[in-house]
Amino acid sequence: MLEIQGLSKSYGKNLAVDDVSFTVPDGQIGILLGPNGAGKSTIIKSIAGLLRYKGGIRIQGIPSRQLDAKRIFAYVPEIPSMFDALTVREHIEYVRMAYSSDITDEEVEEILKEFEMDDKQEKLGNELSKGMMQKVSICCALAVKPKVILLDEPMVGLDPAAIKMLKEVVLRLKERGVTVLISTHMLEMVEELWDVMFVMEKGHIIGSYNKADAEGKDLDELFFSMTGGEKS
Amino acid sequence: MRALIYLTKRSFINNLKKAVRKPSTLIVLIFGIAYGIFIIASLGMLAVEIRMDSVRGLLIVLTVWSIYSVLGNFMAYSSRKGIIFRPGHTHFVFTAPINPKLVLLNGAWMNYLVSIILWITFSIGGLTIFQVAPWKVLLFFMAGCVLETILEVAVMVFLYTNDHLPEKLMQGVRFAIKVFLVGFTLLVVLYFKRNGLSVESASNFIDWPVLQMLPVIGWQIAVYRLILLGPTTLNVICSCLYMITMLVCVAGVWRMRCDGGYYEEAAKFADDYAELKNKKKSGDVDLSIGGKKRKFRQVRERISARGAKAIFYRQLLEYKKEKFFIFSKATLIAVAIAFIFSYSLREAALESGAQGLFLLGIVAYMSLVMSGYLGKWENELKNPYLFLIPDSPVKKLWYATLMEHIKALVDGCIICIPIGIFWRVKPQDIVFCILIYAVLQADRLYTKVIAQFLVGEVFGKTGQNVIRMFIQMALLGLGAGAAVIIGIFVNTGLIFPILLIYSIMVTVAMGALASLRFDMMEQAV
Repeated sequence: MLEIQGLSKSYGKNLAVDDVSFTVPDGQIGILLGPNGAGKSTIIKSIAGLLRYKGGIRIQGIPSRQLDAKRIFAYVPEIPSMFDALTVREHIEYVRMAYSSDITDEEVEEILKEFEMDDKQEKLGNELSKGMMQKVSICCALAVKPKVILLDEPMVGLDPAAIKMLKEVVLRLKERGVTVLISTHMLEMVEELWDVMFVMEKGHIIGSYNKADAEGKDLDELFFSMTGGEKS
Repeated sequence: MRALIYLTKRSFINNLKKAVRKPSTLIVLIFGIAYGIFIIASLGMLAVEIRMDSVRGLLIVLTVWSIYSVLGNFMAYSSRKGIIFRPGHTHFVFTAPINPKLVLLNGAWMNYLVSIILWITFSIGGLTIFQVAPWKVLLFFMAGCVLETILEVAVMVFLYTNDHLPEKLMQGVRFAIKVFLVGFTLLVVLYFKRNGLSVESASNFIDWPVLQMLPVIGWQIAVYRLILLGPTTLNVICSCLYMITMLVCVAGVWRMRCDGGYYEEAAKFADDYAELKNKKKSGDVDLSIGGKKRKFRQVRERISARGAKAIFYRQLLEYKKEKFFIFSKATLIAVAIAFIFSYSLREAALESGAQGLFLLGIVAYMSLVMSGYLGKWENELKNPYLFLIPDSPVKKLWYATLMEHIKALVDGCIICIPIGIFWRVKPQDIVFCILIYAVLQADRLYTKVIAQFLVGEVFGKTGQNVIRMFIQMALLGLGAGAAVIIGIFVNTGLIFPILLIYSIMVTVAMGALASLRFDMMEQAV
């Protein structure tokens, strides 16, 4: 479970996120939506422990800053940043060590194969294209074997095959009881994935829906009904 | 920690492998080391020459080091900027279940390396130049490399991880350090102005007991004095205070709670540092890190030019939005150099009676100095729209660089007119010098494009610059030689026009060749 309680974050005098609270229950997929500048990235970075904030964030009930919480949490940032001098395989080895992950070599091979990176294991970080970096970032997050995973615009830069695979992987994670939070603008890409959605605007959550309450409405229909825009 | 050691080790090994595969990196590395050794050896010789080759000489060096370097480091740590993290750290390390203090300790490995190299250098200097007994060198190496590093690390961890210290207080600390350093420098300047600049006066200055009483840095100086000069009541007390401070700091930091609040600033610094490296790679002259977002002036203007001409008018619009129009740090450098030369060489120039030739020499020197500077035109080649504009490559080259020629002309005026008036150079010679400066700068631009075309990214920016300098010097050197010979044997008044005409001819030829680069984005190499 991922719990956000009364989260506020300011950059100088600018209040980016104002007293935001929401919860993604165990084994569910949450979608965080909102126009540019709504405060999504600030929330994501706060959950990932990259910002100071007021309020509380709990991962499986543990405060997110604690090492025990970090051990079961994986993060795929919007813009992946590789270590220039580390190969793809070494990135995964590092993650395995840092998280004391019990992932086996066979499982690593399998993940890399799924994302068509098995033949690029010896490529260095600075030799990868943006799409490849995104794939490595996802593979590293999966190597953690997390209980909660946070994906920030994970489909950007991926080819259609990788997007399809990512969707399958997300559904597989859900089956295993992993809590997933995805922040995205590509509503149609997460249409068949979501269980609960949160819409943000100007630093606030302006509405949320459970799939059951949505009465079969499309994500974009729900989104535009809340933000006041028009469905294309 | 195992994961961080793995990260550092693998990065080091892979970088080494890459360097071995890429000869240009190895050449730069070897050249860098050789240059470093040369500088140190020169400093050593200088120390001997000015009779600083004694224990007291070493003490002067260590005192200056303790005050400026240690306080400088403290200032950087207090703004959480002293440790270089990369964007990869933000992605993979800050989010990992690793103790933030360990992340910090590991992130500072470069600082330890620099410290070790520095203290080895000091020790070698101590043994060879400053004639210090080996056992004393060993002791002072331990004090510098171990004790000083331990204290520095403790202060670093304290300043980075202590979220309870209000930002205002940290700003106050930084301000106080700055005030102290400026005040101290003023004091040193005044002291030497009154007592004369000599080893004796410097030695008397560092014997000033107040220096050893300064908290932390003064106590550190006292430790070096204790080791190198032997015990006195003052240096023993201050050394004890230093040890106690160190132990208290280490114990405090050990017990302090840290949940990674500093990741926010460290991540920002990692992005800023990555941006700085990119700027450096593309030859940008403004290498300030972080800071405020650049502000632009509001200009309401439409670009109505057609074809390649639109490139020039777009650049003009961009410059109009800049705070100081076409003037930048490069202009300031030009003004400063012109000012220094006009004063320092005035006597010699007037005595020789050939002030015009002196000015020509300065123009040639300035062309060399300003060779690292790049304007907006460099980015044109990275922009695919340049190649899509339906116009001839020659026109694209001309309009993409026209603004640079205008800037060169203005810089030429800034350099040549004041010096020319001050040195009483003939007006027509001043005009010739301005024009020659502008043409030389244009030649530099075009030759750079050709060098890029010839060697591509194989040898990097350094390789491109070496090739550019080689081509430029070979071609222009011929012209300069010919102009001088004609000047000596026929008429000295011909030197300027010959040089200008020849430079224009070479530059036009270079421009024609360089225009090929504006035909297609894909390059030969």
